[in-house]
Amino acid sequence: MIEAVALTKQFSEFIAVDSLSFHVNPGEIYGLLGPNGSGKSTTMKMLLGLLKPTAGSARINGFDVQQHTVEAKRSMGYVPEEPVLPERLTGWEYINYVSDIWRVPRGVERDKEIDDLLTLLDIKDASDDLIETYSKGMSRKISLVAALIHNPKILILDEVQAGIDPRGAATIKEILVGLRDRGNTILMSTHILEIAERMCGRIGIINHGKMIAEGTMDELRTKAKGQQSLEDIFLDLTGGPDMQKIAEFLGE
Amino acid sequence: MLEDLLILIRHDLGGILRVRNVKGKRSKKRSLFRNSLRYIAAITVAVVVLWGIISMVQLLGWSFFQSAIIDGIDFGATLFNFIVIVSFMGSIAVSVSTVANSSRMEYLMCMPVSLRTLFLEKTIVVIFYNALIYMIIGTPVVIGLAVSSTAPYALLSIPTFLVMLIVNVTLGVALGGLIGLTISRFLAGRRRLKQIGWFLGTSVSIIIGTLYYYSLFASDSGLAGFFAVFLQFAQQIGLSSDFSPGGAMNAVTIRPIVGLPINLVDILLAVLFLLISIMLIYANAIVSETAHYSGWLASGSKRSSKTEVKIAHSVWNPSDIPLLKMSTTTSVSMWYNTTSVRREGRVLANYLVGPMRTVLWFFLIFLAPGGSLAGIAPFIIISAMIPFAVSYGVYFAGYELVYEGKNLMNLQLAPASLTDYVKGKVFSAVPFTAIATGLASVLVVFVQPSLWIYIPAVIISSIFLTLASGGIASYSAATGGDFKAQRNITRQRGAAVQMPIRGTWAMARAHLLPNMIGFMGVGAILGLGIFLNPLFSYLVVPLFALICVQIMRSYIGKSGRKLQTIEASDYL
Repeated sequence: MIEAVALTKQFSEFIAVDSLSFHVNPGEIYGLLGPNGSGKSTTMKMLLGLLKPTAGSARINGFDVQQHTVEAKRSMGYVPEEPVLPERLTGWEYINYVSDIWRVPRGVERDKEIDDLLTLLDIKDASDDLIETYSKGMSRKISLVAALIHNPKILILDEVQAGIDPRGAATIKEILVGLRDRGNTILMSTHILEIAERMCGRIGIINHGKMIAEGTMDELRTKAKGQQSLEDIFLDLTGGPDMQKIAEFLGE
Repeated sequence: MLEDLLILIRHDLGGILRVRNVKGKRSKKRSLFRNSLRYIAAITVAVVVLWGIISMVQLLGWSFFQSAIIDGIDFGATLFNFIVIVSFMGSIAVSVSTVANSSRMEYLMCMPVSLRTLFLEKTIVVIFYNALIYMIIGTPVVIGLAVSSTAPYALLSIPTFLVMLIVNVTLGVALGGLIGLTISRFLAGRRRLKQIGWFLGTSVSIIIGTLYYYSLFASDSGLAGFFAVFLQFAQQIGLSSDFSPGGAMNAVTIRPIVGLPINLVDILLAVLFLLISIMLIYANAIVSETAHYSGWLASGSKRSSKTEVKIAHSVWNPSDIPLLKMSTTTSVSMWYNTTSVRREGRVLANYLVGPMRTVLWFFLIFLAPGGSLAGIAPFIIISAMIPFAVSYGVYFAGYELVYEGKNLMNLQLAPASLTDYVKGKVFSAVPFTAIATGLASVLVVFVQPSLWIYIPAVIISSIFLTLASGGIASYSAATGGDFKAQRNITRQRGAAVQMPIRGTWAMARAHLLPNMIGFMGVGAILGLGIFLNPLFSYLVVPLFALICVQIMRSYIGKSGRKLQTIEASDYL
């Protein structure tokens, strides 16, 4: 289970995350949505123990992230928004590196597990190449393999499907739905609202670091007074495009 | 923690030290010889040094070496202290750079390993790089002397040398890292002040490091007079060579080779420095962890997506300067390069004051005799301008070109000449050379007023030397630059552990060729003036300037053409 209680992060005068509270239950996919710079990635970094909250607390699988960081991380898998990976290693070496740190026992079983995941995500053929030759989508896929290799109970995914081909995106969706059905806890952020609408049990929309709406799709529709799609709800809550400026730019 | 540390080190070094090509089809393949070249070179150097030492001992006899070493036993302490100082000066920004770029380690940070273990491992890798060169040259020297020695415990000096070498490098790196982190703590959240603080902190650390080393080296005599105040201060706080890390290393390494007794105090001192180095490196990891987790390094931000604030940016246009005609591309490049370096205080300080380290390397042999060579002090100062002039060209044109990385790929698409762009980078180094040589000239006139007549010639020559050096460095950057350097923690801007130009020949060309041109050219200018007539100096200056300009033109042309044809995959 993931619990965020009044999480706040302030950088100098700028408040990136402002007293954010939410929880994600086992067997649930929670979508964290918001415009660029709204504080999604900062929130995820605080949950992962990578950033110290200015105020508030976070608990992962019962462990306070600040007090028991390593224990909390042990049950998590994470795919960052921009995966920066060790470029001088091959994909296969990288997954083995990660597996060693997670103490996944070495042997035939581990090799098979890695092989299966690489094949599933269509990057088996590139696994002997240096990561520096990988495209963005491939880096994201190999990051997902690294996040899944130790069978984590909790997954935190920052824009996991961005830049991935349709077949890969569909595979990832099926994997996540399957993990959810097995009782895993999944927190994901995405800008592809159709994905969030279809996959997430509950959705939280944040803007300027604050939670402005939270609930199931039905609850959000009720709050947004008649808006049907998540895109309409999202634009209604966070503000739509400035049509006048667009017209000016286009010279109309 | 230890198990995690070993896993991290094994995989980190595994990727860096790879000899065989990877199997994948997408990755570049290089011959086994090319992949092994650095190891072959290192082993060759070590074998040649070992063979040279053993041959010399056989030729001159062990007793000759024994008495020579015993007579100059203190020299070892000075030499080993040099290792500490150089490691220190090169590492002031290392920990801060590591923490500031920790987003590049997110894939490790989200794993069940404490952040301090991660930072500890990165520092160990930095120590490994720093120690490598001393290990390659020093170990065969110690082995050669130890196996030739007739002393009973001489072989013991081999492991003690290796251990104490690591201890000394660790002391330098960890202390430098801690000082850097301390500066960043005091200036947390204040962007402008932080840059000024970084500039001053880094400069002062490099200068004090050099002077401290110099004070140990020169002892009480001769040239030490220049730095009497610092020397006195160093002695007052007990920094004499016997009680320094180098002194301890000397006692447990060199003394056993020549059969001199080792005191209990020496052993305790060596153990004490060993413990201090362990404490410092661990403290560095803890402070790095705190710095990252608490966000000391995050600069102040007033972002707002609500209010529109229009900011008028002023752009300095170098081509507005009278008599300075240049294309728009060159002008923009010169402005951009100067601004980009100026905004990073620690980078600016490393670039401007950093050449002191090179000067120290170059003039070690001249400084060694102390008082007996005091008469040539002004010439040493004049000659010291050459590495400065060369380094500015290498840093501003060579390194900065590499650090542009992906932006160079965008420039390939722009309707601009990359040769003009490179020219701007070379020109941006010139004002710094003019200021540095101007300051050094004041010192020369103060020490030897009669040399004032050569000062304008030397300043002008240095400026043109910077142009040649920048041109050569830009070509080295284009042929051997690692355009992904910023992504590598040990190679990024201001880190100074690994250079951004990777190719061995490219690196050698960038540093050696302009220094050779400088020493020959300025040597000729001074020599003709002193031995014939000062007028001859000024007759040679235009010729030297012309040669430098031609060198610059030739190399920036080649550099521009090369940059235009580099494939995008090298940048991405």
